[in-house]
Amino acid sequence: MMSTLAPFLPTTLVIIGAFVLLLISTVRSIHLKSYLYITVVFLLLAFAVALPQFGTRSGVYVLPKVFGHTYLADDFATLFDLMFLGGGALTLLINAIYLRKRDYYNGEFFALFLFAIFGMMTLAHANDLVPAFISLELTSIAIYVLTGYHKNYRGSNEAMLKYLVLGSFAGAMFILGTAIFYGVAGTTVISELAAFIQIHGSEHLLALSTAGLFIMITILFKIGAVPFHSWLLDVYLGSPFPVTMFMASVLKVALFAIALRLYLILYVDTGLIGNQIISFLAILTLIGGSWLAISQSMLKRMLAGSSIVHGGYMLIALSSIGLGAHLAAPAIMFYLLSYFISSVGAFGILSYIAADSNRPLTYEDFKGMAHRRPYLSAMMAISMLSLSGFPSTIGFLGKFYIFMSAIESGQFALAGLGIFIAFVSVYYYFKLIAMMYFYPCEEETCEQHPFEIHVSTLLIGLMALITIWGGIGTSLIPWFPGADGIISIAKQAIGSLP
Amino acid sequence: MSSSLPSLIVLLPFFGAGVMGFVYLFVPAGRNLRRFYVAVGIGTPLLAALLGLIVVGEMLTLPASASIASPLYSWIAIGSFEIDVAFVVDRLSAVMLLVVTLVGSLIHIYAVGYMWDDQGFGKFFAYFNFFLGAMLLLVLANNPILLFIGWELVGLASYLLIGFYHHDTANITAANKAFLLNRVGDFGFVSGLGLLFALQKQSGFDFAAIFAGLGGIDTAMLSLIGLLLFVGAMGKSAQIPLYVWLPDAMAGPTPVSALIHAATMVTAGVYMVARFAPLYNRIPDVGLFIAGIGAASALLAALFASWQNDIKKILAYSTMSQLGYMLIAVGLGEYSNGIFHLAAHAFFKALLFMGAGAVIIALHHEQDIFKMGGLGSRLPAVRRTMLVATLAITGIPIFAGFFSKDAILSYAFASGHTTIWAIGVVVAFLTAYYMFRLYFVVFVAPNHRSSRSRQSPSLTSLPRSMVWPLFVLAAGSIFLGFWNLPEAYGGSTWFSHELHLADHEAHLRFAKEYILDGFNVLVALLGIAIAYRKFVRPSHPLNAPIHRIAWQRALANTLYIDTLYDRLIVRPLRGISNWQDRLIDPKIIDGSLRGLVTLYRGVATQSARLQNGNLRWYALTFLLGVSGISLYLLIAIGGAS
Repeated sequence: MMSTLAPFLPTTLVIIGAFVLLLISTVRSIHLKSYLYITVVFLLLAFAVALPQFGTRSGVYVLPKVFGHTYLADDFATLFDLMFLGGGALTLLINAIYLRKRDYYNGEFFALFLFAIFGMMTLAHANDLVPAFISLELTSIAIYVLTGYHKNYRGSNEAMLKYLVLGSFAGAMFILGTAIFYGVAGTTVISELAAFIQIHGSEHLLALSTAGLFIMITILFKIGAVPFHSWLLDVYLGSPFPVTMFMASVLKVALFAIALRLYLILYVDTGLIGNQIISFLAILTLIGGSWLAISQSMLKRMLAGSSIVHGGYMLIALSSIGLGAHLAAPAIMFYLLSYFISSVGAFGILSYIAADSNRPLTYEDFKGMAHRRPYLSAMMAISMLSLSGFPSTIGFLGKFYIFMSAIESGQFALAGLGIFIAFVSVYYYFKLIAMMYFYPCEEETCEQHPFEIHVSTLLIGLMALITIWGGIGTSLIPWFPGADGIISIAKQAIGSLP
Repeated sequence: MSSSLPSLIVLLPFFGAGVMGFVYLFVPAGRNLRRFYVAVGIGTPLLAALLGLIVVGEMLTLPASASIASPLYSWIAIGSFEIDVAFVVDRLSAVMLLVVTLVGSLIHIYAVGYMWDDQGFGKFFAYFNFFLGAMLLLVLANNPILLFIGWELVGLASYLLIGFYHHDTANITAANKAFLLNRVGDFGFVSGLGLLFALQKQSGFDFAAIFAGLGGIDTAMLSLIGLLLFVGAMGKSAQIPLYVWLPDAMAGPTPVSALIHAATMVTAGVYMVARFAPLYNRIPDVGLFIAGIGAASALLAALFASWQNDIKKILAYSTMSQLGYMLIAVGLGEYSNGIFHLAAHAFFKALLFMGAGAVIIALHHEQDIFKMGGLGSRLPAVRRTMLVATLAITGIPIFAGFFSKDAILSYAFASGHTTIWAIGVVVAFLTAYYMFRLYFVVFVAPNHRSSRSRQSPSLTSLPRSMVWPLFVLAAGSIFLGFWNLPEAYGGSTWFSHELHLADHEAHLRFAKEYILDGFNVLVALLGIAIAYRKFVRPSHPLNAPIHRIAWQRALANTLYIDTLYDRLIVRPLRGISNWQDRLIDPKIIDGSLRGLVTLYRGVATQSARLQNGNLRWYALTFLLGVSGISLYLLIAIGGAS
């Protein structure tokens, strides 16, 4: 009995945590810090339960009598579970100072946070389009609320409204696609759909292609691919920092979880039309995203723009999957990890510095930062180097694998464009490094701030170290998985898919 | 056989450096912290030395060709090609291990007293331990890649320590100079390694595999590799033409000089050549070149040393000169003699520097020997130990330097390289002269001028930690020679036998050897006599010499080599980079780039304008996207069917 229920355990822990927080959030006397640590404890507990499950199964339906074939437990989903749980805990801990210094956070915030993560986990496990949609909406609704959590700030309200309206709009496409699939194939279970497409794909080419693309459009919207990206800058800017970071990092991972699962059945050896469109959208996203990023003066908007570009890189690899590149799927997973680590570092430093000010941070605010906060500046510089894909950082390896997969699939022009865009991105990332190091300090007080030892700053430092470690050696640190190790873990996860 | 001890020995100082660096950065300073730094800073080298003794003891029970391997982990594994992070103790690295850890530990202990009042006490010991660790990494590495990492880290550590008093620009310049000149050497070294890597066909790249595969490479290429590797040694071991950093490196605290000159850094070049003995044995011409460079450097440095007034610079040039001897030895293929001189030199040169440091501290950072004088009666312990070291370096019988140096010279004679031998004898004469010049002027010559009027009342008293390491080293300088007693004196050259290196063989008849050695001793005594005549019984009052004759002035200014390098290399390079800075960079490269950037940014601003915050507009673009995709599908599939 226990062994059949074991795959549920991490998910269950998270949802229990969410309800516990919801219940105790009415108690006034509990300090915000306690909420935070309760949340983190639940996340880490779930992480600890999920960790030994990795590598044990490939494609087991959990409780088939109850759920049918909708809930699948495999290494792929477990790996993503681990990323959500670890990423969620990191996001909260790194933002601990920011959360503490704002008065509008309370227990419900953390409950919603856990609901969002619960949705992501069920999304990764979903083997049926309808539960997948429900999971996606569960996550989305939680995040809509989180986006507008700063109730007294107009930007936050506006961001929530925009995200809600456009998000629902895009969600409709998912349902439409699912309906068409059901109409043609008579099922919404992903593995049965795959079997159907393999046999009857060419008979219903138009209907199936349309349905597949409609579903992809919803995912592309959430990723922020051009031309479905217009909401992204406003929403990222309006949201509170922890939420922006959560959306840019963990949510993106979740979306690629379902994207990968769907893509591998819809477009690999099926004849469905769609792969070219993804390639084309990758081009649009890379160019459009970097145009957006390059013209921003606010750092949060710049990071938002750059997150569009990073989505574009992953679209390159996604389209390469359809052309039969074996490296592509692990490349995406590695890229997700590398982007996660570097962007968490960058957002974390921004949120740490923004905790003391009320206006949005611009490039100008970082002038001469290296004199005032040498350690934070160094970490920021490392994050920026990694985001731009500078060699000897983990970001470089991430891009390297992406371009390798593009070349493996024969998309040389796309790889070339990706490399070009990486050069362009140096402009807006290095601008910040230049601001920090090559400009004199202009503020009235230029004395050095001491390095505050706190879980937030230490974790940011850890991220910086991992960034370097991940970029330097395959196994420079003994008894610890290097880049090769991560790729082989990703390969194992992909291999567990049906 | 394998053991984890060698890895531990290498990791210990790095660990100490890491811990001390962390504490120094993050724990607020306090008096009690010094005790912690002392405990860690001395503890880790001493522990490493102890473990080193255990490993070497174990080693001596094994057959001579055996080695103790200590693989840590696999570093790079690409297909069948593997590079491990692995350490190995064989007879050669055992000697280096002992020298580095034992002499290094003594210098560490000495540094406690020397640096006690310094603000950056913790930082200093963190760097110091790091230096020691880097050197251990270098000597214990089992493959050239790892050796090169140690090689570079040693360069980095020396840079940090030479520039330790970084508030003075001159020190920074000296540190930069040392680092840059070493980079020049490193470039050669890494080119040599790259070439070796490209040409060898074995799957591994550790020393054993490389030496096994040397037969497959033709001699011309081997010579090139040998030369390039030696360029690295020129930089590290301060030989012509890359030696100019060494005298300037005196800018660091004196324990640093002791560490650089005795136990670490400069010996790396000699060690490297000995390590690559199987390679150099195949290319005797390159070996001869090395010996020639060594001889020339030895002579030039001895000449410079004879005309310097700064106590540390004299010692610096004497190091360069002694390194010349070592390179003569390894160049001519008598590797074990070279390594033996290296070990003996480590003892007496560390002693000389530490003695000099004691004098400098006692006189409140006075370094000009002509402002010292008559210190013998007031610093008796320093005087006695310095005398031992001076006798040792001069090559007076029973002291270590006699056996180690004369072994090199008699081999050079025996193998027919009489020119090199002759240069060696001249250098021995000069060595005797300038070392006793130093000794007499500082300790023996009557007290004069400045010291009587101002400095005589206040000699800083020396802490015990600065004195007793001197005695240990003095004992080493006296007795070390008996480990390698030549057969001519009833010994069995135990050290050379045990070292088990691929030495060339050349023997002299005992009678000839007695004559040669006697001649050397006579030459040395002559040098001492001249120094005695000039500085102890001077015909006129002893003052800092003013050189009126052009060649003397030139030598005192070290032949203006620094200026020459500046004119010939630094200035033209700077000219080129200035020109590039003024013309190529801003006009041609930046100009074209700026045009592109302006264009791109223009488009970017336009596309940002579409981000107008208008929800309806956003929904419209979304729908346009969907429509576009649908349209494409219709066309693509409609055309297909």
